[in-house]
Amino acid sequence: MPPTRVLTPSTRDELVEALAQATPRTRLVAGGTDLVRELHRPGEAPDLLIDLTGVSGLATIRLDDGSLHIGALSTFTGLQEDPLVRRHALCLSLAAAQVGSVQIRNAGTLGGNVANASPCADGATALMALDADVVTVDGAGEERRRPLREVLLGPGRTALRHDEAIIEYPLPALSADHRSVFAKVGSRTAVSVARLNAALVVRLDATTGVLAEVRVALGAVGGTAFRVPELERELEGRAVDQGSAQLFADGCMAAVQASIPGRYSLPYKQHAAVGLAYDAWNMLALGPVCEPAWA
Amino acid sequence: MQLVLTVNGTTYEVEARPTARLLDVLRDQLGLTGTKEGCAEGECGACTVIVDGRAVNSCVMLAVQARGKEILTVEGLARDGELDVLQRKFVEYGAVQCGFCTPGMLMSAKALLMRDPTPSEQDIRIALAGNLCRCTGYTAIVAAVKAASGQESTPQMALPGVPGELAAAAVTDPATLAVACETVESEAGRPLGAPCTPVDGGPTPAGEGSTTSGARSVSEGGE
Repeated sequence: MPPTRVLTPSTRDELVEALAQATPRTRLVAGGTDLVRELHRPGEAPDLLIDLTGVSGLATIRLDDGSLHIGALSTFTGLQEDPLVRRHALCLSLAAAQVGSVQIRNAGTLGGNVANASPCADGATALMALDADVVTVDGAGEERRRPLREVLLGPGRTALRHDEAIIEYPLPALSADHRSVFAKVGSRTAVSVARLNAALVVRLDATTGVLAEVRVALGAVGGTAFRVPELERELEGRAVDQGSAQLFADGCMAAVQASIPGRYSLPYKQHAAVGLAYDAWNMLALGPVCEPAWA
Repeated sequence: MQLVLTVNGTTYEVEARPTARLLDVLRDQLGLTGTKEGCAEGECGACTVIVDGRAVNSCVMLAVQARGKEILTVEGLARDGELDVLQRKFVEYGAVQCGFCTPGMLMSAKALLMRDPTPSEQDIRIALAGNLCRCTGYTAIVAAVKAASGQESTPQMALPGVPGELAAAAVTDPATLAVACETVESEAGRPLGAPCTPVDGGPTPAGEGSTTSGARSVSEGGE
């Protein structure tokens, strides 16, 4: 087997040149927290590794005309700390703060979180609720923008071609009228892979305080994170009160039941969904907890 | 492939396999075996090093990704024969049991104190959440980090019959150290700090991307 080569592009042009050499056996490396483990398991070695960490500009987070653009190489630590993300996409910052450990958050990136397509990716659930798009560049230098739901196809499966790298996620920046939260249930309180996660984004009517817009995303309960549009419609126009909380919890439970019928984990997850929904709702009503509650 | 790495302030030119992890290069090529391999999956934190001021798991980082960055390992903590305050407090507070997690614990704590010299206990617990101690000595470790940051901290456990300051002195006492080093060197059959050479039947570099036969030789240079 020919040896693995490594390319270390440092500019967008060099990245495109590198991608032009990619084959279906090529792997792109960002934080490496999933891929490097994989490389050291027995199996076919990639023909080419393209290290994205040196490409300038890919970790940039900027606000542009109402859109927040999050560079694909943004680390979870970066997302956790970035003032623009905290102001305009808080649920993503809250999700990032609950990924792995400090060491994993320092290395792991939002690009890798989506490209690796783990069903329990916390970043993907938050991005779903934020209506994020995915911008990629390929080996021909072509940029392409499409909704996240068109990129995530299933566990470990994406619509990304082998010569395509995610470069950023544009999303509509949340305003002062928006609230967004993220909640997660894992097998332990820290350094935990989600058994179930949820992101909730709402816009409150400035005068009446009712839920003018609702976006609900669930993850780790099916092949990919997904939205729950019927629940969103049901909640819109309602007040942020106990009745809505109950409706939200019931809706989350129903969504879990519909997503994994007959799965061994259903008896647990359908009830976990109720607790998770109340956690999320309480954060929404009382203000988000910015530090993990376990510490 | 040729790599230039800066570890503990020294620049090394290393001939590394393209898929080598930072951990592999530190341990096998630079002989810096203070950094431990535990789970090899980024879960346990035994391999924690500091790269450009941030704690990372060197078992899930490719060596090539550390090019041009400042790497700090546990060997870089002590200065001029003086233990770092964190190391002293770990000794004083009995925060070391089997010791395998200790380098990783120290590096996570160091990264925290580099950013925040007076962290709260909650900050310390968050910083150490990715470092597993199977002896479950967490309480003493948290107390030691707190003490290292100059904050009041109650020792949970001390060496039996040995006051904390004395215990720390024993560790830094040259005579005691010399005896310990001789024992370790005679066990290992090589001088401490010498680069490892592959043993027969052991893992050998696959030689990917490299035509140099002496792929494991390390030269110090670049200063």
